[in-house]
Amino acid sequence: MDLRKELAEDVDGKTLNYCFSCGMCTGGCPSAMMTESEYNPRRILHRAVIEGKLEDDIWLCTNCYLCQERCPTKTKVADLISLMRRVYVKHKSIPDFIKPLVVNLGACGFTQHIGELENKRRKRMNLPEIKHTSEIRKILKKTGGLYE
Amino acid sequence: MSNRYAYFIGCTTPFRESNYDLSTRRIMEKLDIELVEMEKAGCCGLYYELVNELSYLCMAARVISMAEDEKLDLMVICNGCNSSLYRANKKLRENPELKEEVNNVLADIDREFKGTTEVKHFVKVLWDEVGVDKIKEKVTNLLDLRVAVHYGCHLLRPSEEIKFDNPKDPVSLDELVEATGASSIDYPEKSLCCGGYVLASNQDIAYKMTGRKLINVKKAKADIMVTACPFCNVMYDANQRGVEKELGEKINIPVLHYPQLLGLSMGYTPREVGLEQNRVRVNPKIFE
Repeated sequence: MDLRKELAEDVDGKTLNYCFSCGMCTGGCPSAMMTESEYNPRRILHRAVIEGKLEDDIWLCTNCYLCQERCPTKTKVADLISLMRRVYVKHKSIPDFIKPLVVNLGACGFTQHIGELENKRRKRMNLPEIKHTSEIRKILKKTGGLYE
Repeated sequence: MSNRYAYFIGCTTPFRESNYDLSTRRIMEKLDIELVEMEKAGCCGLYYELVNELSYLCMAARVISMAEDEKLDLMVICNGCNSSLYRANKKLRENPELKEEVNNVLADIDREFKGTTEVKHFVKVLWDEVGVDKIKEKVTNLLDLRVAVHYGCHLLRPSEEIKFDNPKDPVSLDELVEATGASSIDYPEKSLCCGGYVLASNQDIAYKMTGRKLINVKKAKADIMVTACPFCNVMYDANQRGVEKELGEKINIPVLHYPQLLGLSMGYTPREVGLEQNRVRVNPKIFE
């Protein structure tokens, strides 16, 4: 996999070239704050540009977009890290923690299994019953998103 | 302004926070806004933005097409659904080739994305369209409370696309809270994320983030915290006991969905807004 090439094919990915590693992204990043900058979006971008490498830490992005809002060069930092995650899934594997969500979506059309227990509670509250849909499974199958 | 919306509740609300659904229906009824059910609506596709873009866009376009069929704008109550559907709608409207690719997939389930509907978070509906003044007219029980407001990320960001309120210093939800008579208090790191997105990949980091905000809220002497997203609410309310264990410190801050707070100020009883289902117990007397 040529990470730089993969990123450059995406309109958000192209903005990686704007980054001059100032670190504003990391200064505002909540995951960086919680890990004493062990999680570090500046390093993730730098690594992608210089080494063309992807590592597991990209899954620690909270998708809060503070990095992207703060970036003085309008690098789409958060969109880039989302894009890197899609590249990761495409070339490596789907992380284990996402698998239950995929299974639930395929089975009922929701990210969590909404069943009898939830509907009983809703009935007591006079709320409409939640019904499953098989359309999401069809979409995922057709778009290669089932990962079975 | 429209007084009818296709009403999309997503996954987290019916799974864990049906009181949010209940209280939203109450306040909209009081404001003469009709919510049209979206049966079998399923998921907005949010998480697939990180997994497979075509799957994500198709899932989002499917939900939007359901509202289009009803010729209605789409109202969401979750920040995640807001980000997913709002951004997919924009992307597909601006990108005819991508739209065609998505519609090729949707054709298999007899659906089509046209790009004719608007996606609106309920905070936007209340603040931009109904307006704080009209909401105040419906408030009969002025509350005397110190409230810590939590906007959550995807109500405001990425601001270049979502374009709602002032993303650096938002006021919408604070003003909506103050319409109930309560005071929206200032507290440090108000824009900090709830951590929900990393809960599955790293609970430690998620709980530290949740805990940091809860401590800030507690230090600011808030009576309650208010959210406008079911997942942020799960992090602060349902997971508060777990976060306390992680911190080694008691927090005990009740966390309400905004429609619960507004509903109480409109004269609904605690049970009518599902308050007994909030995990951190709250003495209903504080709303009298």
